[in-house]
Amino acid sequence: MKRFSKLLLIIALLTGLLAACAPAAVAPTTAPMAMTDGLGREVTLTAPAQRVVSLAPSNAEILFAVGAGSQVVGRDEFTNYPESAVTLPSVGGSMGGYNFEQIVNLKPDLVLAAEINTPEQVKALENLGVTVYYLSNPTDIEGMYANLITVGKLTGKEPEATALVDSLKQRVAAVEDRVASTTAKPKVFYELDGSEAAKPWTAGAGTFIDILITMAGGENVAASMEGSWGQFSQEALLVANPDFILLGDAAYGTTAEQVAARAGWETIQAVQVEQVLPFNDDTVSRPGPRLVDALEELVRILHPELK
Amino acid sequence: MEITRTARPYWIALLALTAAMLLSILVGSVQISFAALVEALRSGAETTAGKILFSLRLPRTILVAMTGAALAGSGTAYQGLFRNPLADPYLIGVASGAGLGAVAAMSLRWPYTTFGLMAVPLAAFASGLLTVAIVYALAKVGRAIPASNLILAGVAVSSFTTALTSFLMLRSNGELRRALAWLLGGATMSGWQPVLALLPYLVVGLGILLTLGHALNVLQFGDEQAQQLGLPVTRVRRLIIIAASLTTAAAVSFAGIIGFVGLIIPHILRLLTGADYRRLLPLSLVGGAALLLAADVLARVLLAPQELPVGIVTALAGAPFFLWVLRRSRQANFWS
Repeated sequence: MKRFSKLLLIIALLTGLLAACAPAAVAPTTAPMAMTDGLGREVTLTAPAQRVVSLAPSNAEILFAVGAGSQVVGRDEFTNYPESAVTLPSVGGSMGGYNFEQIVNLKPDLVLAAEINTPEQVKALENLGVTVYYLSNPTDIEGMYANLITVGKLTGKEPEATALVDSLKQRVAAVEDRVASTTAKPKVFYELDGSEAAKPWTAGAGTFIDILITMAGGENVAASMEGSWGQFSQEALLVANPDFILLGDAAYGTTAEQVAARAGWETIQAVQVEQVLPFNDDTVSRPGPRLVDALEELVRILHPELK
Repeated sequence: MEITRTARPYWIALLALTAAMLLSILVGSVQISFAALVEALRSGAETTAGKILFSLRLPRTILVAMTGAALAGSGTAYQGLFRNPLADPYLIGVASGAGLGAVAAMSLRWPYTTFGLMAVPLAAFASGLLTVAIVYALAKVGRAIPASNLILAGVAVSSFTTALTSFLMLRSNGELRRALAWLLGGATMSGWQPVLALLPYLVVGLGILLTLGHALNVLQFGDEQAQQLGLPVTRVRRLIIIAASLTTAAAVSFAGIIGFVGLIIPHILRLLTGADYRRLLPLSLVGGAALLLAADVLARVLLAPQELPVGIVTALAGAPFFLWVLRRSRQANFWS
């Protein structure tokens, strides 16, 4: 019993200590800005963030795209783009947990979290006295633009972010103009993981993969699938008979030859006309500015006749 | 002379625990120099080193030690209760039930409130206890609760809940890694809140178990013999199940399902000090805490800055260690 009461005393003392040590107020250089994040939390910055830790690949891509790359001091383990982000220290994240010690040690004035982070992780960082902004996943291209502006505001790069959004909008409009001139609608199957050839994983309605294929003048054969991600039956795939198969799993070594060798796949139109093509999955699975790169790439593949 | 001999295992175990705690506080992905340590101790949580020490490492160290003690203590009690060398704290469904609750809670979006943030551990705790209650009700024959019935009902209900958990994980659109990490014991929550929440269950549950050493010794003669010796077998059995389930459910709620600790610590200690449960129970608390702390340190440094789920380390390092102990023991049949 004595040991327990001693333990309690230590805990009580330490919590007291923690409460007494609230972060000291920094004299604001500009007016403090308050923004509501994706969890409905009010996040206040006294000045644009100068030491940012990104907890998701999409966040790192957005930060660098709006010109705040030099203000990023840490990134998660999955971040692989742009190249200058890879050299930054990693704060973990590939085993479900982040290395909070490393995050605290980097002394960030902002941690940019994303939907792959849990509210519990946000709370834990908040308890450590770290300012966290939780950036929700956008559900459409407009939402992605809004996220770029938000990150621009947080990092003092709002003009750059606005300029970026304008140029992205022009590129999307150019694609839409080109697609409007054709009535052809090739059928597309986007493979996320084909290691089980009888039921490959794919993306259904509402995902950016589906949205971008549609915008690029194609038809996602899995659009009718219930749920955003799922395993598509090979029988349904044979019936749908897509004109194109895009290999999002090319990064894991899947090739067109392997697809052609799968039992039963040889009858699919895309295999017969050799339109089984690798696709950079990072550009469609991360809700960042590279979605527009993916859109342009999709148009180039699906409508080579449109110049 | 006699006194020192009985006290020796306790001293060794406490020494191991102290060493493991120091290691756990001093070792991490961020190097803290001696000067920074002294500064942190003087000024509290203001410096970066202080924040890391007092808000991250110290609460984690205590939480991990408590979890190890809970699992090893419950495991020892269950091995005695079921007279079965394969018994561990998860035998009658508390872990598979907690896993189902946790994964179900993860598949929903919770508001950013105190309740929403505690949804996963609360659901794990409730569903772990509920599963044990179902197993208990199914295994009951009249007023008696035969041990074999408990084990069989536990295995069957566990399979059922595990299947539901797998189904939920496959159906979820979100992060599978989070659920998987939880199920592998990689959920270790940070901060003092889990420590304080776990404490009452641990004090009550382990306190009850510690008083039952003699009863467990008597139970080793078999149910009928124990009954004839005046032991209220059914009452003792119920008490052990309640105490161990409360402790285990609370522990896994905050740390995830950490395997192997509850299985090997009782065996190792039985090999080292004999099968007297009056000694085994307190020793297993200290030993479990020390072993899990050591595993947690390994989990933090092996792939730094990545952290492995500690359940992987306990099994990867614990299994060979246990086999080594088993080979070294001279007894042909160590379980007797």
